[in-house]
Amino acid sequence: MNRNRLILVAAAVGAAAVVAVVLILVSGNSSTNTPTTTATTTAVGSGSLAGIPQQGNTLGKASAPVTLIVYEDPQCPFCRSWNVSTLPSVISRFVRPGKIKIEYRGVVIIGPDSVRGLQAIYAAGKQNKLWNVSDALYAHQGTENSGWITNDVILAAARDAGANGEKILAAMSSSAVKAELTKAQAQATADQLQGTPSFIIQRPPALPQPLAVSALDPATFDAALSAAIQ
Amino acid sequence: MKLRAAIAGAAVVGGAIATYLTVVHYAHLSPICTSGGCEKVQQSSYAELGGIPVAVLGLVAYACVLLTAAVRGLPAALAGAVIALSGTAFSGYLLWAQLARIHAICQWCIGNDVVIAVVAVLCVARVLTEPDAA
Repeated sequence: MNRNRLILVAAAVGAAAVVAVVLILVSGNSSTNTPTTTATTTAVGSGSLAGIPQQGNTLGKASAPVTLIVYEDPQCPFCRSWNVSTLPSVISRFVRPGKIKIEYRGVVIIGPDSVRGLQAIYAAGKQNKLWNVSDALYAHQGTENSGWITNDVILAAARDAGANGEKILAAMSSSAVKAELTKAQAQATADQLQGTPSFIIQRPPALPQPLAVSALDPATFDAALSAAIQ
Repeated sequence: MKLRAAIAGAAVVGGAIATYLTVVHYAHLSPICTSGGCEKVQQSSYAELGGIPVAVLGLVAYACVLLTAAVRGLPAALAGAVIALSGTAFSGYLLWAQLARIHAICQWCIGNDVVIAVVAVLCVARVLTEPDAA
């Protein structure tokens, strides 16, 4: 075999190794670029949620004629993206004027850390701070199933959200919180959930309908939501 | 010529997988899945690289390999080998991520891993056998 060709193959392997290392480093940064314990700002921002009534897992006025059900996983990066980019617009345009209310349904899609995150989020619902803590946890979102949802992260998220962190930790293993998780998983199965985030429009007496969105950016999502509730 | 045709054929297969995953990503659809983990993998942070879906990067890579297969000569063979070997190494990393980080396997990713490995072997064979320029 031609020795020069073998040298060329070795050079190709070397060049490929360099390219692959760069790609892996970029990927590693992408998957860990969210702070874990030092974040001090929330994803949605307290301004968006300020003054909006919360009752358990529901955000908005109880009299709102339409309910937007949102299935989320606290470890899901697309859920975080939707909360950061689009939820503020939905709150401003639809929730604050009383057109809709939003019901949170947390489901385990990514893995074990999701369970712990959802326990903390539903426990915050007992203080009517579910949406604030969900938002704050997204600001702390770390690498999937790396054990990032520690007690310190939960306490920090509770502090950011203006909730009582100790009470959240104490309530996480309660039967009421477990029942909320079980209920949401059962609802997800009944709704044939395909992934998160997923959205369902509920406007009694009509049957609940999935909200089909082609993209999660504010303009596209708001247009789809606006059309669905008319 | 046979090697170039084989590379092109394999790149088309890989490109088809990448196209499917790209469409699923942008349409927010669930991939057809028998392994049970496709949704989880597609929704993980490893599904994007610097904000670009990994499926799109795969599509671009297969298109480039296809282009190199269409061109005679050692430089094209070498370029194809570098792209395919890079893709194989990165696919290996993503396979590790599926097993160790995401704890789920996506059958489409495994299919791509096999295809890109085959393409890499064929591209290396081409570098070793491509006739010198006249």
